[in-house]
Amino acid sequence: MTAPVQWLFGAVAIALLAAIPVVTGGTYYAYLGIIVFIYGIVAIGLNILSGYAGQFSLGHAAFMAMGAYTTAILSKSLNTIPFFAQTGLHIWLGVIVGTVLAALFGIVLAIPALRVRGPYLAMVTVAFGWVVWKILQEWVAVTGGDLGISSIPKPRIGAALLDTRSFYYVVLLFFLAALALQYRLIHSQFGLRVRAVKHSEIAVASVGVNVYRLKVVVFVISAAFAGFGGTLFAHQQNYISPDNFQFFSSVFFLLAVLFGGAGTMLGPVVGAAVLMLLPEMLHDFDKYRLIVYAGLILLTLYFLPKGVMGLLPEQRSAAPAPADAMEEAVALPPIRGAGLAVEGVTRRFGGLLALSDVSFRVEPGSIHALIGPNGAGKTTLINIVSGIYRPDHGSIRVDGENARIESMHAAAQEGIVRTFQTLKLFGDMTVIEHVMIGMTRHAKAGLWDAFAGSQRARDEASAQLVEARALLKLLGISQLENVPANSLAYGHRRLVEIARALAVKPRILLLDEPAAGLIAEEIRALAVVIRRLRSMGMTILLVEHHMDLVLGVSDRITVLDHGAVIADGSPSEIRRDERVIAAYLGHAHAAA
Amino acid sequence: MYFFFQIALSGIATGAIYGLIAVGYSLTFMTTKALNFALGMWVMMGGMLTYSLHVQYGLNPLLVLPIVTVALFLLGIVAERFSVYPFLRAGSDVWVLSTLAVGFLMIDFAEIVWGRNPTPVPPFFGKEPVYFGSVSILPQQLLIIAAACATFIGLDFFYRKTLLGKAFRAVAHSGEVSSLMGINTRRVQALSYATAAALAGIAGFLVVPLTLAEPQLGTVLGLKAFAIAIIAGLAAPRGILICGLVYGAFEGLVSGYLYTGIRDILGFSIMILALYLRPEGIFGRAQEERA
Amino acid sequence: MSSSTYLKRLAAAVAVASLGAMTGAHAQEVKIGMAAALTGPASFVGTEIKRGAEVAIDEINAKGGVKGRKLVLIARDDEHNPVKTVAQYRELVEREKVVAMLGASNSASMLAVTPIVNDTLKVPVICPATDATEITENEAKKQGRENYLFRVGMYGTGQANFMVDTMVKKFGHKKIGLLNWTGGWGVTGRGELNRRLKEHGLTPVGDETFDNNDTDMTAQIIKLKNAGAESILNYALVRENTFVVKTKEKLSNDIPYVSAWGIAGPAFWKAAGTSAEGVLSSTTVTIDGPQSAERIAFINEYKKRFNEDMSAAVFAVGAYDAIYLFKEAMEKSGFEPAQIRAGLENIPEFKGLVKHFKRPVFTKDRHNAVTEEDMIMTRWTNGKLLEIKFDDKGPYVEIDASTKKYLDKSNMKLM
Repeated sequence: MTAPVQWLFGAVAIALLAAIPVVTGGTYYAYLGIIVFIYGIVAIGLNILSGYAGQFSLGHAAFMAMGAYTTAILSKSLNTIPFFAQTGLHIWLGVIVGTVLAALFGIVLAIPALRVRGPYLAMVTVAFGWVVWKILQEWVAVTGGDLGISSIPKPRIGAALLDTRSFYYVVLLFFLAALALQYRLIHSQFGLRVRAVKHSEIAVASVGVNVYRLKVVVFVISAAFAGFGGTLFAHQQNYISPDNFQFFSSVFFLLAVLFGGAGTMLGPVVGAAVLMLLPEMLHDFDKYRLIVYAGLILLTLYFLPKGVMGLLPEQRSAAPAPADAMEEAVALPPIRGAGLAVEGVTRRFGGLLALSDVSFRVEPGSIHALIGPNGAGKTTLINIVSGIYRPDHGSIRVDGENARIESMHAAAQEGIVRTFQTLKLFGDMTVIEHVMIGMTRHAKAGLWDAFAGSQRARDEASAQLVEARALLKLLGISQLENVPANSLAYGHRRLVEIARALAVKPRILLLDEPAAGLIAEEIRALAVVIRRLRSMGMTILLVEHHMDLVLGVSDRITVLDHGAVIADGSPSEIRRDERVIAAYLGHAHAAA
Repeated sequence: MYFFFQIALSGIATGAIYGLIAVGYSLTFMTTKALNFALGMWVMMGGMLTYSLHVQYGLNPLLVLPIVTVALFLLGIVAERFSVYPFLRAGSDVWVLSTLAVGFLMIDFAEIVWGRNPTPVPPFFGKEPVYFGSVSILPQQLLIIAAACATFIGLDFFYRKTLLGKAFRAVAHSGEVSSLMGINTRRVQALSYATAAALAGIAGFLVVPLTLAEPQLGTVLGLKAFAIAIIAGLAAPRGILICGLVYGAFEGLVSGYLYTGIRDILGFSIMILALYLRPEGIFGRAQEERA
Repeated sequence: MSSSTYLKRLAAAVAVASLGAMTGAHAQEVKIGMAAALTGPASFVGTEIKRGAEVAIDEINAKGGVKGRKLVLIARDDEHNPVKTVAQYRELVEREKVVAMLGASNSASMLAVTPIVNDTLKVPVICPATDATEITENEAKKQGRENYLFRVGMYGTGQANFMVDTMVKKFGHKKIGLLNWTGGWGVTGRGELNRRLKEHGLTPVGDETFDNNDTDMTAQIIKLKNAGAESILNYALVRENTFVVKTKEKLSNDIPYVSAWGIAGPAFWKAAGTSAEGVLSSTTVTIDGPQSAERIAFINEYKKRFNEDMSAAVFAVGAYDAIYLFKEAMEKSGFEPAQIRAGLENIPEFKGLVKHFKRPVFTKDRHNAVTEEDMIMTRWTNGKLLEIKFDDKGPYVEIDASTKKYLDKSNMKLM
């Protein structure tokens, strides 16, 4: 679908939604609409977290409850004050405070929760939802216990009470705004990172992003959406009780996201609408309802594993083609490679001594290879330099300065960026998106620019696009710009990893077995790329098994065996070193 | 002291139930990295089948046990084929949803077949309590504690000595490597799911005389068991059993000395904290995304 | 069940549905709606309401309907979910044009619909279940507007008063222990019991709770025993109470145990068996023991029609009476919802199944048909829920028309 067609579809859809209360008469459909929109808002928030960022939450009803109870208690207590009674401002004050409070509790939960992943995260959120639900029941003095809070002020604007139909339009507007926010967020620089986290947290960290903080921020945004939905819910219903926010409500929202299509713009909304309205249409099946309901879910999933929205052809927002002249005009900024010194690094794993007092220097602007038989400690070393592990002893210096490498993203801040032996690409994200994510570290536009869609963010994005294209051109993969990574050939995937790392503008590039799995022709192309990078001034530390490549490109080689440096010298020196030969032959003998 | 021991023992008996169910989560997680989210409903199916065979048809429990086990094992094979495998193969996360949907189907099925009213199942060894000093416990509760202990020992035997157990471990360690070793990874995954289902069935068989036969039987049990599996660490089945017993005793003591209403609030809060301090569970080993 | 029967039933359901749609157009029909849980754990409440109403409606229709117009019941399953209840109330009133409603199966659902019923939908509702006091004592009533909510079942404050008063005044117990469910209405009930005890100048000797998945109440029972409780008052439903009485049996504990109307039906005996012997329950109706002719007719009709015993007679009987109350109101005032509402406040006497009301069933200020004076205390006796009556010699139950057994006040055993 082209953009104008999409706009047309959108306009028609909004017009239809707006017509519902007028055409149907009464309040039944308007009410169902309001509920679907409110659930939709909550589901959109959950979609950002679970669909796009891949972090499952089964406790979102708790955030909805926070919003709902906050505004209920606040607006009810302010209701008697004449100022508020006349202006109705207390309701909207409650909506704001409720949303903010839900977001704050999002932080409280996210800090412990996001240290864990997968089912562990799901359980933490379940536990949180359960705790909140229990507190709602037990703290009778404030929450009214099981009977909840009734006589919550009805929504109003000024002195005018909003009846079901008018409130429908208010909620419709909020709902459309939530959709728009989701769109902006996901299509921003920030959104790229969010989507990447779903596929590989470690790779996102490698480009200098604090993944933990990113996840916390996403969680808080998600909680705010849920809290906001909750506040609207409270004023719509005029009555809330813990029943509304049980474990099953949380399950419902996750079902809605998965059913509609996780990580799609409209999926959560479609899911919420179908799951909410379907039982209403199954009135007459009475006791078979659950079977029909569950059966339908199963069948849908079976035939549409990507959710209902998976039916639609995938949308790829192809980046606009740039004017050729512009592309030519932009040269890549000069690289100032840094010197790297590994000094006395020791690392144990339990009783195993993986690295023992390893020291060597990498000259700025050189290609330095690190080789050794399997189990020699190469991977451990590169993991230490790139911040995955901390050394037990020893230090890493960059240009003579002690580098603070406490995490992967800290390493990237120091200008050390790596690629991965086992490729860590971001699933179906496109090649150019991978490169754009690499540029995160130098991005100025933040979250608020993303939400606001500011000029600054747009300028920056277009500048980055130009630069990203130049990088692809450098690596000879310009033609793959809009190809999803998971449909690339293996050799190209390697190059995308390198392109992503280069986008961070590293001063030291760590290549972890870049030739693994490549055919001879691809290795030759890789050698060309590596040499070209050196000629531009990059410092490269190359861990590699493929000897032709190592001997062909390296300025200097360090050999590790059993966690210790056994040789260090130029390729010709290493080639003649007896200990190296013995180490390799010895292993060869052992293997034979 | 009588009070302390009485409530601690009652708590441990409840904890043994949690532990038995919770082990099932670990079985499938280790081989497929997926969970049967509706395991509690499988417990219910085991309980309801026991009700039918034992109460309605008067079968001896010793006969009921193998029937329930086999029935749920077979059901597990079928359910895995249709509600888990297609999604695992597609690399989709919707197994969360599909396993739950199977659970809903089971609840509705049970409501239609057995009705919604809770019905008692007589304990297998009568309802006269056994006394340790003045501390009393029901024979059925003892049986469950014994079953938990047997599982604790049996798991070790299973994983180390039996072919199936070894295959489970190999697949848990690395699916790729074990396929190279000639293990049919696909079959092992299906078998692990079915084994978890059968275990849930056995748990249902043991539990139902203590609870009531009703479609809602396993829902909360399954959830608590899940919490325990997570606290202990999904990759540590024996740790899960220990955790179950400890959690049960904890619940009993909180109810006894504090107040039942804050029991779950306290329990789940501690769980969140425990995971913060030990993200892979108390008995779990760190599994970082490999670089 | 075989799959072919299942398919047949499914087909039948579809057929019934389409029939319903076709006949819906008949102008002379008077539609009465209900939205309550018909599936899930609380469905027994909704099912009993529906069945009780169906019996009454068919009786009325068989005798020519109300002023020649036939009554029709349209029931919706709200799944115990207040959001759905609200949606279904709107649908039933606005689209199906029902003129009266029967209440839901849970208080939360009723509290959720109360504001829209009084402010927007304006259709009279009679609740056979749902005992939250605020359902009838609502905003509209406080503001002196027309209150559309009525109740023939228990109401919260009244029941707690009745339970406490009975134990304190009639049984002379001063050391009262509480043991309540922390979920659902148990929390509310606990508060109400505490309030009433306080009004008597008493504090509970123990205030214990349990959760709805607890199967062993050992800790709580021992604590109450150690506190010297003379009787234990409770708010919970059948399954939780089954575990309470089983634990009491395990511990050989015979402190009198008094529960609210959650266990006042055969489902409790079915679940708990002989462990339930001697347990007391407050209620509005029991269908065991000597019964009026009308009740016997209803019980037989129910059994014949649904091929099983009532699992919670109070709700079925309440719904049956509610339909007849609607009928009286319609005959008296007309078929418009507002007229029915007004009519309900104007029934001077009513011979119902719940009881023979020899005073106005409802008044402008009192929308609870059953007051504290109408509630009864019952005792589970060999599978029967027998009303406890009092004479000079103390409390007794009538095993049958000729056998009268007195109760030991200290353990509720038969003497």
